[in-house]
Amino acid sequence: MADLSRRDVFKIAGVGAALGALHMSSTACATKTAGRMLPPAKGNRVVIIGGGWAGMTAAKHLKKELGDKVDVVLIEKRKIFMSCPISNVWLGGLVDMEFLMHDFHTPAAKYGYTFINATVTDIDRDRRRVYTTDGYVDYDYLILAPGIRYNYDAWFKGDKKMAQICATHFPSAFIPGSEHIALKRKVDNFEEGTFILTVPPPPHRCPPAPYERAAMIAHVFKKNEVNGKLIILDPKGQIKPKGEGFGRAYQELYLGLVEYVPNAKIKEVDPVNKVIKTTAGDFKFDDANINPPHQAGDLAWKAGLVNPKTGWCDVNPLTLQSKLDPRVFVAGDASSVKGFPKSGDMAHNHTQKMVVKALVALLKGKDPLEAVQAPTNTCYSMVNGDPKEAIVINVLYDIDRKKKAPVKKKVNVVNDRSTQLARSTFEWAKALYRDMFS
Amino acid sequence: MDRRNFLKTCTAVAAASLASPSFFINTLKAQEGSFKPYNKAPLLKKDGTPIKPEEIDPTKQYLFFYPHRATPCILANLDKEVPPTEVKLADGSVYKWQGGVGPKKSIVAYSAICPHQLSYPTPDYSFINYYPQDTPSNIVKRGGVIQCCAHLSVFDPEKGGVVLDGPAQFPLTAIVLTYEDGVLYAVGTLGKEFFEDFFDVFKPDLRKLYKSSRKAKKLVEKCEVIEVSEYAKEVIRC
Repeated sequence: MADLSRRDVFKIAGVGAALGALHMSSTACATKTAGRMLPPAKGNRVVIIGGGWAGMTAAKHLKKELGDKVDVVLIEKRKIFMSCPISNVWLGGLVDMEFLMHDFHTPAAKYGYTFINATVTDIDRDRRRVYTTDGYVDYDYLILAPGIRYNYDAWFKGDKKMAQICATHFPSAFIPGSEHIALKRKVDNFEEGTFILTVPPPPHRCPPAPYERAAMIAHVFKKNEVNGKLIILDPKGQIKPKGEGFGRAYQELYLGLVEYVPNAKIKEVDPVNKVIKTTAGDFKFDDANINPPHQAGDLAWKAGLVNPKTGWCDVNPLTLQSKLDPRVFVAGDASSVKGFPKSGDMAHNHTQKMVVKALVALLKGKDPLEAVQAPTNTCYSMVNGDPKEAIVINVLYDIDRKKKAPVKKKVNVVNDRSTQLARSTFEWAKALYRDMFS
Repeated sequence: MDRRNFLKTCTAVAAASLASPSFFINTLKAQEGSFKPYNKAPLLKKDGTPIKPEEIDPTKQYLFFYPHRATPCILANLDKEVPPTEVKLADGSVYKWQGGVGPKKSIVAYSAICPHQLSYPTPDYSFINYYPQDTPSNIVKRGGVIQCCAHLSVFDPEKGGVVLDGPAQFPLTAIVLTYEDGVLYAVGTLGKEFFEDFFDVFKPDLRKLYKSSRKAKKLVEKCEVIEVSEYAKEVIRC
């Protein structure tokens, strides 16, 4: 003991405190014993979980609207941001990865919110406390933006090993990161045979994304003179949205390379023998991009805010407050609002114009329903790589104050692919990255 | 009132006397914080002579830089008398827009920085453009609008730049023009400005074009008017 340093004494004291904490709460896990991370806020504290499109938008615009009157904390587990929107264009080799990558630090420093790079381990809504691998943070309001998770169980019924084989060998790449890089290697290396892309059942993240991805894969196959074809297995009866634009691209640009199979609901996936059984027949493949059904992200389940019947969070359709807990706003893809697609643009729009406006009103003691504004959703899809050509859909909404819900006002679709729309695709992305990251 | 504000007001009053006097006298106080005077800069052709209103072709769109060296503006001849109107913002505040200027009161100008996410015409691409009557937008199926092809915000140049469609939350910043003795001048801006954000987020691009932020921010004393298609390699219409 005589050799015990001052530092060691503190270490032991820390262990004692941790043990004490364990005794106090029978449900506490190891990570809950880590201490409070931030001093109490002077005013209201809004904790945002998830630094994706919704979370980044919420953090910036809350600070822009309220400045020092609100304490904003963004918790994100990733070390670097990688954009899922435009990742298909990257898959087609039309932009480099740097286009998709952004840092969390610049906007946090510029707008004055706290960025915590940690993994959320639990959410205690009664205590309004978020536990992370680095400690806990208390909140007055929580913006939960956990994105999606894959529901492999729908196919493998609890067979974790088979789900793991499928996820490892045929990664979905609807959650950015390693999966995307693995998929790009598959596409770039494919020389001959059958490559299958399965469209997840709706609702899934970014409705036109599987069709755009198919076009970008076909572009690479065409460029690489692949002796084979890409089969799209779609549980729906037709391509939707922008069906005409995608259909024409497959016909006019990739004839013989792309085969579209409608009404192909998946009955069984065998990743070992490389067979997919569907309501439209059985398909053998040489390689594949297998996309399981989507659900609200893990943390939404952990918070107990998911409707198990749908797999998504029920929310007030104007404010996106959870129907189970008005202290929690569910922003981005995890929420379910009739007529809202799960897209990056929609996440940005509904977060800025609905979630942030409603929360600002609440914090000012005003009526949040009166404060929300109608969102829009603009979605470009790249369908050709040489030359770069895109199509677009643009949905405008109104707020129906009587029904207390958003309603579609107008849908504009341009199915005639053009190089101009391809330019717009890049500017669309750059502008939103600017908003979130610069 | 501090010295700076006093000077601003003086400049504003000076500008007022140059523009339609009734417009400024009646509205200057009400417009406080909305009208912002800058240098009185004549609009010139490439040869340095003033551009005449009748030389502004209603089927084309033009560009000039004002009030800063790097902040582009759209100039258009709407080919009809454009009366003054009130512009209402989402927060309920209102300001009066002067309408068209020139002998036919048909010439208007707006900052070409999209109030949504700041897209602007560069030497490579022009995403935000005026669509003359004979060049309808594919999105809203009509001409006579200003549209940004990044996120499809559509603005009404006849109504002070108000948002017709799309995600923008603010109107276009109007450029206040006057017409004296056959010369068009830009004298200031009206409405919410986005110059600060513009210089911030485009710092690397502007440094490439103008060498430094200081040079990009320099206030202009005269404006050369050119066709957008002469400035940008590609005019992006949608």
